[in-house]
Amino acid sequence: MFKTLNTSATVSTLAMALAIAATSAMAETPSWCGPNEASLALLDGFGGNSWRLVTTASGAEEAAKCPSITTYEYADGQGDTQKAISDINAMSARGINAMVVFGDSGPAVLPALTNAYRAGTIVVPYRVNVGGEAGTNYTKFIGSSFFDDGVNWGNWIKSILPDGGNLLFLSGPAGNSQGVDELAGMKSVLDDKYVFINPEPFAVTNWDPSLTQQVLSAEIAKNDKIDVIVSDFGPSLVGALPVFGEFKRSIPALATSDGNSLSCFWEQNHEANPDFKLFTVATGNDNVRLAVQWAVAEATGGTLPTAEIFSAPVYEDSVSGTPNPVTCRADLPGAIYLSAEMADDAQAKAVGQ
Amino acid sequence: MTDASTQSVANAYANTARFVPLARGFVTVVASTIALLVVCLIFAPSAVSTGGLMGSLPFAAIIAIVGLGQMLVVQQGGFDLSLAGGVSLAVVITTHIPAGNNAELFPAILFAIGCAIVAGAINGFLVGVMRLNAVVATIGVNALIYGAVFAVSGGVPKITTPLMATIAAGKTAGIPNSVLFALLILIAVSFVLKKTVVGRRFEMIGANPNAAHAAGLNVRRYQAMAYVCAQLHYCVAGILISGITREPTAFQGDDLLLPSVAVVVLAGTSLLGGRGFPISTVIAAFFLNQLSQFALAVGVPFSAQTIIQALALVFGIGVYSIRWRNNQTKPAHQSNKEETDNV
Repeated sequence: MFKTLNTSATVSTLAMALAIAATSAMAETPSWCGPNEASLALLDGFGGNSWRLVTTASGAEEAAKCPSITTYEYADGQGDTQKAISDINAMSARGINAMVVFGDSGPAVLPALTNAYRAGTIVVPYRVNVGGEAGTNYTKFIGSSFFDDGVNWGNWIKSILPDGGNLLFLSGPAGNSQGVDELAGMKSVLDDKYVFINPEPFAVTNWDPSLTQQVLSAEIAKNDKIDVIVSDFGPSLVGALPVFGEFKRSIPALATSDGNSLSCFWEQNHEANPDFKLFTVATGNDNVRLAVQWAVAEATGGTLPTAEIFSAPVYEDSVSGTPNPVTCRADLPGAIYLSAEMADDAQAKAVGQ
Repeated sequence: MTDASTQSVANAYANTARFVPLARGFVTVVASTIALLVVCLIFAPSAVSTGGLMGSLPFAAIIAIVGLGQMLVVQQGGFDLSLAGGVSLAVVITTHIPAGNNAELFPAILFAIGCAIVAGAINGFLVGVMRLNAVVATIGVNALIYGAVFAVSGGVPKITTPLMATIAAGKTAGIPNSVLFALLILIAVSFVLKKTVVGRRFEMIGANPNAAHAAGLNVRRYQAMAYVCAQLHYCVAGILISGITREPTAFQGDDLLLPSVAVVVLAGTSLLGGRGFPISTVIAAFFLNQLSQFALAVGVPFSAQTIIQALALVFGIGVYSIRWRNNQTKPAHQSNKEETDNV
């Protein structure tokens, strides 16, 4: 209850502010914004972490670029599949023209999406695969290429460790498709010289900092040699990495996704830990922007974007410094993502700190 | 079963209980823990290495503290599902309110303790005074507490203050401070329960509220107090988590509910209420934590890790469920006699 009020209040204030900023600052409307007026809704399966808050605000910012969008709505499923389904049904019943959906529950929300699509709503699920087919169950699915993330990590690991070594790969809940795709990406560039010391396919952490800490200390105790840690949620490692100090060992190289807290942690600790190199890909908050562009283009009669899959760019590399050296903004909260297109201060506002 | 044979079983049980009062839960838990340590030494030596233990003991200490809190409620035949909210609230208060500023840590801790007392008092009033079902009342209060968690944090994690990290994750004489906190709480709980008049009355009320009422004790007040004391335990656990984990989430308590009940049951405290076993509860917390470290250290797939833990729990709980059947066949007056003997 509090969460819904809080989040919707933040989002609506933000959307208003952004709408004003957009109308004054942006004289040109983007090509994906057509002339027909439409209403847009962003539906989240779970909105309660900083990544989601920044993503939601990014979606609102993108929608505000198009003056044809008359109404912008947001609903948070609060991690409850039933609520996520009823949110979709409610938005459809209210006659919203287009909806962008983060289908956390996967195929469980597909029937609701299909009903909304058949009722004439533009439905764009993104990031999490909900099953079904474009044109039958929804308008378009805008995925993210986790495989490419794996390839980027793999190439960097090869560059810093040409003779092979021991890799520890940590991902979220057991069997999550993101981790499986990333592993496939890494294996496509790394040969047998690179040994994954975690149980197949990855060490389960649920992306929870406290479980990550326990898993990591068990793995460190077990393995005398860990050359690289790969994780698809970098900031959750910040609490766990000091465990290496307990074993009087240097923090090893780290290939992961970005986060301000992680970058600041690197800045404070890399001198005391000679092996601590950091490589990050963008955490992917901007995935929502591409999905919003598609939904708005379909609903307002604009030009459809050419990209169909969001590919997270490489963000930081402490070894080569390209495309960016590790960047810490100690004056801003740890829970923001400097790789996101949204301005850093606006993100700080979005996460309420 | 005839009356005579029921009586003889009950007498035999009462005698055993009188001569070796701690044996039941204590021996089982200690034996299982030693067995587990031996298995670790053979199959997964890294799980019992110094570094491995230093990494995992703080989490065992957390389970021990919430377990002791849950034990007090279970002793009164209750069940506290608001544990998840209680721990999470303490975590977000001690991370969000100081926001990295050491000077504001102490007031934040006081505020967290105040919130815990209020939450416990609501639970205590609903269950102890209004006689609501404990599961229903505490699940409702849990939702209320989570409302407060979101009001404080917006569901967003925050990096803890350096001072909190030093206190909770630091070491004194080579022992993690969190373990020392758990031991201090264990000593306090054991002393109050076993050596003070209040504690003896508390256990007697748990064993037989009707008899206690007949003896002139204020049953409702004691039952309500169990929830307040339990929330204080969850609060301490939450404060410690906020130092052990550098950037704890707003939902850190969720994963502790099941272990808290598991350690209470493994330690031999009956879910029907009665005597509590604080020392066994703390050893059971170590056992449970070591079990997950073992599963991680042998490097089996996640599915097998889950199965290993579940089997150990089923085994532990199975041992006691046979006892429960004996308890149920025991005549009520025998239970009174046994418990009043202890007072």
